[in-house]
Amino acid sequence: MYRGREGQWAYFLHRITGVALVLYLMLHVFDISLVMYGPDGPFNAFLMFYHQWPFRIGLVLVIAAVVYHALNGLRIILLDFTTWGIRYQRVMWYTVLGVTTVIGVPVLVKILPEIFGGA
Amino acid sequence: MAARPRNLQEARDRSRNNAELAWWVFMRVSGLFLVFLVFAHVFVNNIAINVATVDYNYVATRLAKPSVKVFDTFLLGLAMLHGVNGLRVVIGDNIRRPGLRFWVQVVLIVVSVGIFVAGVMTLWAFSYREMGDAIRDLTSGH
Repeated sequence: MYRGREGQWAYFLHRITGVALVLYLMLHVFDISLVMYGPDGPFNAFLMFYHQWPFRIGLVLVIAAVVYHALNGLRIILLDFTTWGIRYQRVMWYTVLGVTTVIGVPVLVKILPEIFGGA
Repeated sequence: MAARPRNLQEARDRSRNNAELAWWVFMRVSGLFLVFLVFAHVFVNNIAINVATVDYNYVATRLAKPSVKVFDTFLLGLAMLHGVNGLRVVIGDNIRRPGLRFWVQVVLIVVSVGIFVAGVMTLWAFSYREMGDAIRDLTSGH
């Protein structure tokens, strides 16, 4: 395996989160489109299935993927459209990870009790 | 595989044709818009409320609002174009056999167009009850 440094991990994570997000997007749009069958259609049954806790953990991972992919995407824009971006790419990647954590922790504090609190 | 172009000039020199250059620019422009659209969408529907309370009534009430229809149309269109083009690039990089690569991309485009159409119908259907009846009539052969 190519032993790259931060830039390679940034790239890997961007690809993996991107593929995961587009697959989630397709499932999500299909799922929501079931409202077209009306209140007596399959919509609620589908949603109840996805309200089970393993899928809700999955949804937390989707949010984490969104935040990382969005912030690293902003980093890529700065790399490509500024003259100074490449010089600071490494520190910007650590900033992306830091801000992802800063956003992620309060989200976890809000959502995890909803999943496991039995509410 | 050559390294990713590092700036607009390199992308312009490197791209085989104008379409690939246009996609390169599109990914950055749409990405910038999607940061705001997706963050707002996730916050309103998954963080501000407990997602376990989402049900048919929540979705139908929400999608009946004109502001949500317009917002979600931009979200759906940009996200599908950005996501499906990204997946097309990933397939191009990782499936080496040209025949297999072609057919996987054909399946991707067909499935994506179907899902996009379902999404647009969901957002702009006049009445979900009517739309449901119409689909039931269609599929039961009346």
